[in-house]
Amino acid sequence: MPEAIETMTCEAALAALEPYLDGELDRRERERLEAHLGACAGCAEERELALAIGRELRALPRLDCPAPVLARVRREVERERGARPWAGARPRPGEPGRRSRLRPMLAAAALLAALGAAFLARDLGGPAAAPPAASPQEVARATAEARFALEFVGRAGRRTGLDLRDDVLGRHLVAPVARTLRGALAPAASAVAAEDRKGT
Amino acid sequence: MEGAFESAVARHQAKIYTFACYFLGDRAEAEDVTQEVLIRLWRNLAKLDAARMAAWLVRVTRNACYDRLRQKRATGRYLAPELDGEAAERVPSQDPDPEATATRGDLRRRLTAALTALDEPYRSVLILREVQGLSYQEISDALEVPLNTVRVHIHRGRQRLRQALHSEPREVTVHA
Repeated sequence: MPEAIETMTCEAALAALEPYLDGELDRRERERLEAHLGACAGCAEERELALAIGRELRALPRLDCPAPVLARVRREVERERGARPWAGARPRPGEPGRRSRLRPMLAAAALLAALGAAFLARDLGGPAAAPPAASPQEVARATAEARFALEFVGRAGRRTGLDLRDDVLGRHLVAPVARTLRGALAPAASAVAAEDRKGT
Repeated sequence: MEGAFESAVARHQAKIYTFACYFLGDRAEAEDVTQEVLIRLWRNLAKLDAARMAAWLVRVTRNACYDRLRQKRATGRYLAPELDGEAAERVPSQDPDPEATATRGDLRRRLTAALTALDEPYRSVLILREVQGLSYQEISDALEVPLNTVRVHIHRGRQRLRQALHSEPREVTVHA
């Protein structure tokens, strides 16, 4: 004798509709629901609506991102790459890592101090001591290091939102450093000048 | 690095944009979100495991859309006309009957409007499951919720869509 199928209320049927459409009901529950759907026009209509919703959602088109948006992304990526060559990548051997970033910053600071001292020496006009002759290799290396240090400071500025250029560095960093040093050493400078006048 | 990024963009840009469009119902907002997500992808590319990139992008896109939604909530905006029209026009009807075509187009328009108006998390899971075809497991991994929770959310989301379609007035649109 076939097992009697328990009747189901509309509320229970509608609650079971989605799992039913996903094939998640066990045999007993499925038979109960199908029996109800066969007898209830309202719930049967709900099943048809649920099937139509699934069909239409799955048919919604895939939309490609407009080309101008992708172009803006590429421009931003290029801008960030110019500011931070290591952006988006772990530092490779030989590329600046976190610790080695200090070295160029220190080189930049040493360069600025040296520039300030050079301005000061020129202004003080102290005893003209001939600088030791540097080899062409040393000059080339110093030039490359100075250029790299200034470029690094510029990148750091761009990363922080500032736009630093060499003329800005000279006017706003090197000159004030020189003035400060000049002021601090002014008594010594006067003494040197007085000695020079005595000698002439 | 640029090659890997371009490859990732080619593979994922449509998924990101599609999700954002149907989530936000606004093309301009979806473009902004897509741009934001792709730039975040660039910044995090080296840290991302290729196997988990898709799930990461789903999560980031969904969160970016949700942030936009909260900002827009006060305006009560729904579907932008161009997205509504495009969704209805893009897929040609298989039915030669113009009345059936009109009915189906009307249903699609009402459906996309109802989808965009669904509460979270139902909106996200339905877009991922029904529109983009992700499996329950992929949705669970992407949104970091249990599998059964995904299943329940999908079922409830569909129920709410049915209820929304019942309560919306039907329009008759005649395609010339």
